[in-house]
Amino acid sequence: MKIMLLSLMVLGFTTSGFSQAKKPTIMVVPSDVWCNQNGYMKEFDNQGTKEKVPDYKRAFQENADLIAMISKINGLMADRGFPLKNMESVMKTLASESAEDAMLTSKSGGGGVVESPIDKLRKTAKADIIMQLTFEVLKTGPKKSIRFTLQGIDAYTDKEVATAGGTGNPSFSADPAVLLEEAVIDKIDNFNAGLQRHFDDLFANGREIIVRVKKFEKWNGDLEKEYGGEELGTIIENWMKANTVKGRFSTSESTENMLLFEQVRIPLYDASGNAIDARGFTRNLQKFLTAAPYSIVNKLMTKGLGQAVIVLGDK
Amino acid sequence: MKKHILSSLLLCLFIVGFTLNVNAQAHAKKKADEATEAWRYEVEVAGTGTQGTYLIKVWSYSKRPAVAIEQAKKNAVHAIIFKGFPGKTGIAGKPPLTTNVNIEEEKKDFFTDFFSEGGKYMKFVTLTTDGAVAAEDRMRVGKEYKIGVLVSVNVALLRKDLEDAGILKSLNAGF
Repeated sequence: MKIMLLSLMVLGFTTSGFSQAKKPTIMVVPSDVWCNQNGYMKEFDNQGTKEKVPDYKRAFQENADLIAMISKINGLMADRGFPLKNMESVMKTLASESAEDAMLTSKSGGGGVVESPIDKLRKTAKADIIMQLTFEVLKTGPKKSIRFTLQGIDAYTDKEVATAGGTGNPSFSADPAVLLEEAVIDKIDNFNAGLQRHFDDLFANGREIIVRVKKFEKWNGDLEKEYGGEELGTIIENWMKANTVKGRFSTSESTENMLLFEQVRIPLYDASGNAIDARGFTRNLQKFLTAAPYSIVNKLMTKGLGQAVIVLGDK
Repeated sequence: MKKHILSSLLLCLFIVGFTLNVNAQAHAKKKADEATEAWRYEVEVAGTGTQGTYLIKVWSYSKRPAVAIEQAKKNAVHAIIFKGFPGKTGIAGKPPLTTNVNIEEEKKDFFTDFFSEGGKYMKFVTLTTDGAVAAEDRMRVGKEYKIGVLVSVNVALLRKDLEDAGILKSLNAGF
């Protein structure tokens, strides 16, 4: 009897665990336009070309309006059961992590933490969906109004999945801070309606991801190499057809050295009911290529829930 | 004796009159409910409400102004759940809370109770101008009155209630 009860409990727990898809992370980021208009840009020399990039750290340290807006959006989203990542905190965590990594040495040999150039490049504040925020206080004589735009951008597919914006009513007396707060309250529900449509689509048609297949220079094979009369590129495409939701994906680029699959719709759960993301999905392709008759050694790299790269020929 | 008969007659007339009035009121109320179900009301945005609320003006129809004014509260909640409303310069319109166009039929039992007399819908109506309808918001259209009432609805609470009842899907449902 006890064993039966225990089995039922385990089964119940496992099933409830399986029923949850991987939750995308969302973060509010001030747009490049806002940073530029408010002077929060820094210049760097990109191989002889001067380039401007947003200086988020300074923006968070100096602009109280930005903090108030982000805090308001975070609060409203938390009320809807969707707490957001706070960009300022993420940046602080990254900075302290870098400092700790630099100081960390092993107990026995004194070796430090290994970090490849690609690890360093990817060490930035990131989320699956970016809420790009732009706002501006417009003045017409003594009247002030707020132009506000909030764009929800899928970080992997670069698609704008939700949006809300517009210019508020002009006011003679209201403080810009009050007008800014009003703009957020007025627009956030429309933004969330767009986000809900995106999630509904995700549950109905699968998560949309991007998959890239590349090859290492030293590998003697390429994507035109034939196995049983079929080119490797075509074999990979056939695998995609068989494993995507309703066979939905588009091969955007195809050469002997690389393949780019966009709008790849992957199921939210694997055959055993576990939630999967781009990594889980592409790991199956990795296993498929590693196994006979192809026996191709390959390296899998992922970016968040929605982007994966397989590089053929080495680890 | 004559006096006694006269007073009895007056009492009878009063009772009949009162009953007729109550019946007419009930009939007007029933008609107003039918109008709500047939989407026969108009909604416009009136301002940006405070956090978690929508401020709208609802135009309702009835032969009796009192019924139209009272029905405005029901129509306001009805519109926010099923219809949404357009915006105007400076204020954004809002889509309906539900994205399922058949929800009204699918959850008929729930909504019949919800919108019944003394139903839960009143919990979400926070403020109205039912006691002071402006002259320009009271119009005569044929045999009916068309009356506009400002209503503030606590949408955050309404959405939470409908999510808890399984009528609406929450934003994080499935994750």
